[in-house]
Amino acid sequence: MASLPKRIIKETEKLVSDPVPGITAEPHDDNLRYFQVTIEGPEQSPYEDGVFELELYLPDDYPMEAPKVRFLTRIYHPNIDRLGRICLDVLKTNWSPALQIRTVLLSIQALLASPNPNDPLANDVAEDWIKNEEGAKAKAREWTRSFAKKKPE
Amino acid sequence: MSHIEQEERKRFFNDELDISETSLNFKSENKESFLFSNSNNDGDAVSVSETPEEEGHESVLQLAEEIGEGDQDQFIEELRRIIPEIPMSLAVELNKKFGSQEEGLSLALSHYFDHYNGKSSSNIPSSPNQVNTLSDTSSSILSPSPSLVRKRKDYGFRNQTRLEDTFAWKRFIGAMQVTGMATRPTVRPLKYGSQLKLKRSSEEISATKVYDSRGRKKASMASLVRIHDVQYNREIGRVPEDIAQILYPLLSSNEISFEVTLIFCDNKRLSIGDSFILQLDCFLTSANFGGSYSDDQSFMKRRRTERENKREKDSVNFGRPLTETDEELESRSKRLALLKLFDKLKLKPILDEQKALEKHKIELSSDPEIINIDDDDICPDQVTEVIHDFRDTQHEEETMNLNQLKTFYKAAQSSDSLKNLPETEPSRDVFKLELRNYQKQGLTWMLRREQEFAKTASDDENLETDVNMINPLWKQFKWPSDMSWAAQKIQQDHVNPEDDVFFYANLHSGEFSLEKPILKTMVRGGILSDEMGLGKTVAAYSLILSCPSDSGAADKNLFDVKDTEVPGNVSSSFISSSLGNKKPYASKTTLVVVPMSLLTQWSNEFTKANNSSDMNHEVYYGGNVSSLKTLLTKTKNPPAVVLTTYGIVQNEWTKHTKGRMTDEDVSVSSGLFSVDFYRIIIDEGHNIRNRTTVTSKAVMDLQGKCKWVLTGTPIINRLDDLYSLVKFLKLDPWSQINYWKTFVSTPFENKNYKQAFDVVNAILEPVLLRRTKQMKDKDGMPLVELPPKEVVIKKLPFSKSQNVLYKFLLDKAEVSVKSGIARGDLLKKYSTILVHILRLRQVCCHPGLIGTQDENDEDLSKSNKLVTEQTVELDSLIRVASERFDNSFSKEELEATIEKLRTKYPDNKSLQSLECSICTAEPIDLNKALFTECGHSFCEKCLFEYIDFQNGKKLCLKCPNCRDSIDGGRLLALGRQRSDSERLEFKPYSSASKSSKITALLKELQLLQDSSAGEQVVIFSQFSSYLDILQRELTHAFPDDVAKIYKFDGRLSLKERTNVLADFAVKDYSRQKILLLSLKAGGVGLNLTCASHAYMMDPWWSPSMEDQAIDRLHRIGQTSSVKVIRFIVQNSIEEKMLRIQEKKRTIGEAMDADEDERRKRRIEEIQMLFE
Repeated sequence: MASLPKRIIKETEKLVSDPVPGITAEPHDDNLRYFQVTIEGPEQSPYEDGVFELELYLPDDYPMEAPKVRFLTRIYHPNIDRLGRICLDVLKTNWSPALQIRTVLLSIQALLASPNPNDPLANDVAEDWIKNEEGAKAKAREWTRSFAKKKPE
Repeated sequence: MSHIEQEERKRFFNDELDISETSLNFKSENKESFLFSNSNNDGDAVSVSETPEEEGHESVLQLAEEIGEGDQDQFIEELRRIIPEIPMSLAVELNKKFGSQEEGLSLALSHYFDHYNGKSSSNIPSSPNQVNTLSDTSSSILSPSPSLVRKRKDYGFRNQTRLEDTFAWKRFIGAMQVTGMATRPTVRPLKYGSQLKLKRSSEEISATKVYDSRGRKKASMASLVRIHDVQYNREIGRVPEDIAQILYPLLSSNEISFEVTLIFCDNKRLSIGDSFILQLDCFLTSANFGGSYSDDQSFMKRRRTERENKREKDSVNFGRPLTETDEELESRSKRLALLKLFDKLKLKPILDEQKALEKHKIELSSDPEIINIDDDDICPDQVTEVIHDFRDTQHEEETMNLNQLKTFYKAAQSSDSLKNLPETEPSRDVFKLELRNYQKQGLTWMLRREQEFAKTASDDENLETDVNMINPLWKQFKWPSDMSWAAQKIQQDHVNPEDDVFFYANLHSGEFSLEKPILKTMVRGGILSDEMGLGKTVAAYSLILSCPSDSGAADKNLFDVKDTEVPGNVSSSFISSSLGNKKPYASKTTLVVVPMSLLTQWSNEFTKANNSSDMNHEVYYGGNVSSLKTLLTKTKNPPAVVLTTYGIVQNEWTKHTKGRMTDEDVSVSSGLFSVDFYRIIIDEGHNIRNRTTVTSKAVMDLQGKCKWVLTGTPIINRLDDLYSLVKFLKLDPWSQINYWKTFVSTPFENKNYKQAFDVVNAILEPVLLRRTKQMKDKDGMPLVELPPKEVVIKKLPFSKSQNVLYKFLLDKAEVSVKSGIARGDLLKKYSTILVHILRLRQVCCHPGLIGTQDENDEDLSKSNKLVTEQTVELDSLIRVASERFDNSFSKEELEATIEKLRTKYPDNKSLQSLECSICTAEPIDLNKALFTECGHSFCEKCLFEYIDFQNGKKLCLKCPNCRDSIDGGRLLALGRQRSDSERLEFKPYSSASKSSKITALLKELQLLQDSSAGEQVVIFSQFSSYLDILQRELTHAFPDDVAKIYKFDGRLSLKERTNVLADFAVKDYSRQKILLLSLKAGGVGLNLTCASHAYMMDPWWSPSMEDQAIDRLHRIGQTSSVKVIRFIVQNSIEEKMLRIQEKKRTIGEAMDADEDERRKRRIEEIQMLFE
């Protein structure tokens, strides 16, 4: 692997020393660009009480290019598909090098709190969400219970 | 003198006068021979009469007089010493033309060789017949075991022996069938097998009547060669013209003996005009092999006595020197005849002695061959070619690829003999370092070259092997088995004794020898030409320390003058004359001449290698030694090594030459030229490749017993580069320019590469040692294992402003070149075009380079004026370009933006917490902070990385912080704050000074800093002004605690250089050390193995120059893999330069044998650049 820019080191240090509540991100021992991430489901959301695992990878061109993030835990969400891929503007067109790992993860947490079925990635889920929001949320809760880890009390 | 001869001379004289009126050519011939007789006359006091006035139609008599009475003009003297065969008229003419000029002699010489030499060599091998005259001034002897060879040029002697028809023995060399024509009727049929005789016409005819001035026969020779009947001694017939031409000159001497037997006459009486067939058996007689002179001592002595004889003779025969013409002509025609005879007899030189020997054994055991008459003349052309091998172009070689140059090194030293060299280990007492195996072999070789056999490792092989080389001018022949009529008739198996299988002939001079003519060099020293990075310095020290002083000189008087030194040698004439050639002999000191940049390195290496407290070294530089002479010859323990630079040598030499005129200078009388060193070593010896430079002349004049040249590249451009090295080593006779010209330069220019290379190989084989990194030792292991090297070409686009400038300049250049080609005077505008090209190259590097007077640039010293003239115009262009592209603010917009920023950042404090959101650095280095229109700040580097990235992906530019759109041309930077105000100053940011290369370089360096800390980096450029710009930019880009920048160029003093290199080499893991290195000042010799990353900022015309530079890092001692990045701007002149480099790599620059061709080549290159 090529070099590890100072910025990545700095970000990593800060993630460890000053973690965001409800979010953990630890770099992999073999590859400091690869992070194992957990996000707690936001309160008042169908994902409450669940802990979701994600993986995050910083491409070579980071920070010019956005990090690559994917859910490892199955989740019922209109903007997240079966493979865990996330539809989020800051990960795509709205990326800016001023954004960081921390801000990206916060955005994802926010996305859990407020799904946007009008810009879907998982079309069936989005359809379900629009037609029968309560049923969809129930299903999301159901999935959270069965797939996500329990939030430690 | 016999009556007949006098008679002949008289008549001859008249002939001369007749002819001289009609034939100018002829006259020069006379003078030549005259000259010859007179050439040994130097030193005789002769009264000076009037200056000769040479006119084309002057009569021979006058000339003779004028020469004879001896206008001993120094110039003519010198000229004649160098070219003994030069006709006097020509010498006088050349004197008139060049004598008064400064470099007159060399001009005259080149003029002579350009205009006259070719002509005379068209018929007859030109100057080799003068070999002997030359070699008596040489310290090395080129001679086939002198005692056995009869010198054909001993005219004085031959005159006496010529009429004697006695010789000790003769030996068959071949037979041929000849058709004779009857000139008188015979009474009865001639008997088969009857003996006949060949005779020259009884009527004596002067040679000049037979031959014209160029040695071609004028008269029909058929009428001069008669076949005589043995019984009645009457003429019965003649031979055909072509045979007569061979026979006529040879019949007059006893060197070749003929036996003629009638083998067919149709068994009838012959009438006039009838033809009959003869067998002509040819024998070489002992006269050729010095039979009658075998009691003679050394050749040198012979020459001397002969010279004295001549002098006496001259003084007696004064005024009648024309007899020599006869001799000269005859000897020439004889040589030619000999060549033809060998041709006819199909005597071919043997190339492989071993094979020939085996074949000979088989022949001995089998039946003698049967002559097949039909076989005769089946392939005469082929035979001719073999015989004339030396003079004629071999057709298949004409198209030879000049990669030969590279392979020539390999041939120069067969790797087998290299592998078998024993290894000599220098004693631990004196030498501290551990040598590699090949270096130990090298030491053996060097010690042998100095004839210090006692110190070399013992070896079963013959120690003399390396001097056992056949002289390249000689050819080996095998005695054919005796097929002569007599031998056949006796039916006796003539068995050749085993040890007498071969004879040797020099077909250039007509000399013969039974013993192998060994090219014996008395030169101690040689050329160590190991490839770069194989440790030549260490090798040199191992030699010096193993053998620090002349063992033979210990008991000798210090002031002993070596007897090999010949006074009056052209090159050292003034030194000898001014010092009387009595220099004290510094028998314990080796002088090492090195380029200035390497002085410290050599000095350090000495300390590293030396393990003996008795030995010390002295750096002779900058007047630190008051009297070298005293130090070296009067002190008890003189330094074993004196290190000095080419500059010092040149400097003292110049003073020396002047000092002769004025008064004695201290440094002159006690400096480098005041002593005779034990050993002289010149490092990077190709520095003296141009023998006309002062440096070269100065180095040639240094005196020493052993001389060594160290160079990785003995040939830079031309084969003639080698000549200077040969001359420095005093490798006679090749150090005589005409010798070299005749056998190397001229054949090479005539595209007769094979011959030129053969001769060069033969010259160099004994004295040159070259190993390459690829060579394998005897166990098949490579000599040196270096870590891998990776060279990456990084192609970059132009920055906007560069692009505009480039287009503008390209247009101008194209117009200029095209008009030049159209008018056909491209050459006249050569320097203008070079300026154009330079401009384009500069823009590729950095627009700011234009107009800087870069003293390091090639070929442009003259055109500097031109550079400055156009600068004004360019300046404005640069300004326009930068305004257009680097700043698109209108005045109002600018003011508004500045006002906005001032509100946001009212004072210095507000800047302290400024963070770059891209690299998260905080606070931003204010020198490098850039502000967007929206008021956000970033590092300059980060922001441009972002802009480049977005542009590269064709994404829109938005402020990373607020996503407002931004523009690379609408940025601001902090300006210099006024001391009286808190208010911050902002100025529009201009990237006009940015070049794409610098941006790319910064990025690469940043990457390296991030990935591997403390890695040293070398940056090469050929423009020292570019180094300045780089220094500025780098300092600007990296703070002191991140990177330390060093600059090494020609402007540094020796001390500064040392400091820079020493400091750079120290590893510092906290900072990146960057060395900016000028390609010219630091491209050779330096050892930069501490760094493993290099960047080449601009391409050089010659790829070898770049390779040399890269090898500064990639050499012994390098532990990590070397990575080199070459920056090249896309679609620019640089890409085309890469193509030219590629071309040069394949054909090699050595093709450009002469200046004209080089120019032509460059024009082609120019066209290539603009096509």
